[in-house]
Amino acid sequence: MDVKKVDHLAKRIIQVMVGIVAVLLVLIIGYILVTGLPQESIDFLFKPSQAVKAGGGIRDQLWNSIYLLILALLISIPLSLGAGIYLAEYAPDNKLTHFIQTLIEILSSLPSIVVGLFGYLVLVIRFNMGFSILSGALTLTVFNLPLLTSNIENALRSVSDEQREGGLALGLSRWQTIKGILLPRTVPEIITGVVLSSGRIFGEAAALIYTSGQSAPALNYLNWNPLSPESPLNVMRPAETLAVHIWKLNTEGLTIDADIVSAAASAVLILVVLLFNILAHYLGNKLERKLTGGK
Amino acid sequence: MKDYNIVTPKEEIRISTKDLSVKYGDKLALHPTTLAFPRHQITALIGASGSGKSTYLRSLNRMNDKIATVEGQILFENVDVNQPKINVFELRKHIGMVFQRPNPFAKTIYENIAYAPRYHGIKDKRQLDEIVEKSLRQAALWNEVKDDLNKSALALSGGQQQRLCIARAIAMKPSILLLDEPASALDPISTGVLEETLVELKKNYTMIMVTHNMQQATRVSDYTAFFQLGKVYEYDKTVNVFTNPQVKLTQDYVEGRFG
Ligand SMILES: Nc1ncnc2c1ncn2[C@@H]1O[C@H](COP(=O)(O)OP(=O)(O)O)[C@@H](O)[C@H]1O
Ligand SMILES: [Mg+2]
Repeated sequence: MDVKKVDHLAKRIIQVMVGIVAVLLVLIIGYILVTGLPQESIDFLFKPSQAVKAGGGIRDQLWNSIYLLILALLISIPLSLGAGIYLAEYAPDNKLTHFIQTLIEILSSLPSIVVGLFGYLVLVIRFNMGFSILSGALTLTVFNLPLLTSNIENALRSVSDEQREGGLALGLSRWQTIKGILLPRTVPEIITGVVLSSGRIFGEAAALIYTSGQSAPALNYLNWNPLSPESPLNVMRPAETLAVHIWKLNTEGLTIDADIVSAAASAVLILVVLLFNILAHYLGNKLERKLTGGK
Repeated sequence: MKDYNIVTPKEEIRISTKDLSVKYGDKLALHPTTLAFPRHQITALIGASGSGKSTYLRSLNRMNDKIATVEGQILFENVDVNQPKINVFELRKHIGMVFQRPNPFAKTIYENIAYAPRYHGIKDKRQLDEIVEKSLRQAALWNEVKDDLNKSALALSGGQQQRLCIARAIAMKPSILLLDEPASALDPISTGVLEETLVELKKNYTMIMVTHNMQQATRVSDYTAFFQLGKVYEYDKTVNVFTNPQVKLTQDYVEGRFG
């Protein structure tokens, strides 16, 4: 066969593969949405769930997912910023640094069920935090930290040294150069990373089953006292998230309409995760364009 | 012909080095170098690639700290600024630098210039506005960007970006400007504009400029130093270096026999 034919064939094969992937994706997402969405009405989102009776909603699970996400981000963003900045800008190029980087890589590929069991043994049992939002948020942090740290480290490393020297040559300190010149430049990449990881956190079930728990005590949305057990803000209460709820409905759901609720909840979950991904692209591009002046 | 020809300019000297040498690890990249740079003139540093021009230039504002071992003296305002106790951040306010490739920050044109003065303590908006306008005028960029001060600097052309970097450097009101091949990434027209700008800036600044372009050296510089393999062989008025070099190596180089 001549070069041109081989080239043509290779291209076709690749196209077919891409096609298969695309079709699979559309089928999965389409299936979930088509089975889930018709079951839904707006009040499905605002009704509490039912343990046995039919007609439950996902109000508390949805809130728990959002609350856990916010807490996990509040903890993991500052930590990973610190770690990422240190690794990219300050860490000496030696064995210890490489070792830490390798650890972070390993940590970021740990299966989430392992991270979840770690959270269970250490946080829930050892530190006596019980099944709680706090245990869940910390576990999600362990799960999220390595990825976010590498995201930030890589973003900083991709900025050319000329930017660093530009700052230093103006008499700025190293830290001021990082804070005022390098970080703004990496904002689009970092935001994209954060939003994408939000999607992963939002859809995470395995890491939460044994940490934030599988029960959703009814919440009273008028009670904003974070110490009260029925308050949505309380971090010491057990909190079943949307993803955990779906898992539970399908494994030990007692409600008659478990299938329907689970399908509808899955559709919501998929929609939110899709939204995060679209948002990541949109924000990333928009900030990038703003920075480069539309070039 | 001579082995070396290093003159001391008759003009007032703004900055000078005495036996300044630079080592990268064990490798001596710059042999002890003694040069004096006259006030409000442009000195060109010429020589083949790898001859130590950037190494020398970057030592003057201590950009080689932590990268290399720099020994010897740098005399600026009667002080040896090549001492550990010197505050390099303060020093760099007085000795500005422009790099080979334009490196504007990912900020607006205005912020590119105002950022460092603000950090160094100028908070008054009107005063900053003034600094921005004046620097841009001096860098011959004002007319092109005055309506776009809030646009991103990254949207400017290469030549404009480089003049912005000059504006950014002179916004600190330095007395010395170091330029490392500032035109090497620019097209001929932008280079022409940049050269005119530099000649104009001579009124207020003492400049030291690395260039590999010999026409450029003859067009804009008053003095020229010729580097070869980490040593300065000739330092004299630019006319002399190019029309009547005293050292064989310089003659070969300026006549284009090698390098
Ligand atoms: N950061 C560095 N680390 C090690 N060696 C360097 C470094 N920078 C420059 N050198 C070496 O020092 C010598 C002079 O380089 P340089 O000053 O950049 O030359 P020029 O600017 O005249 O082209 C070269 O041999 C170069 O390889
Ligand atoms: Mg150089």
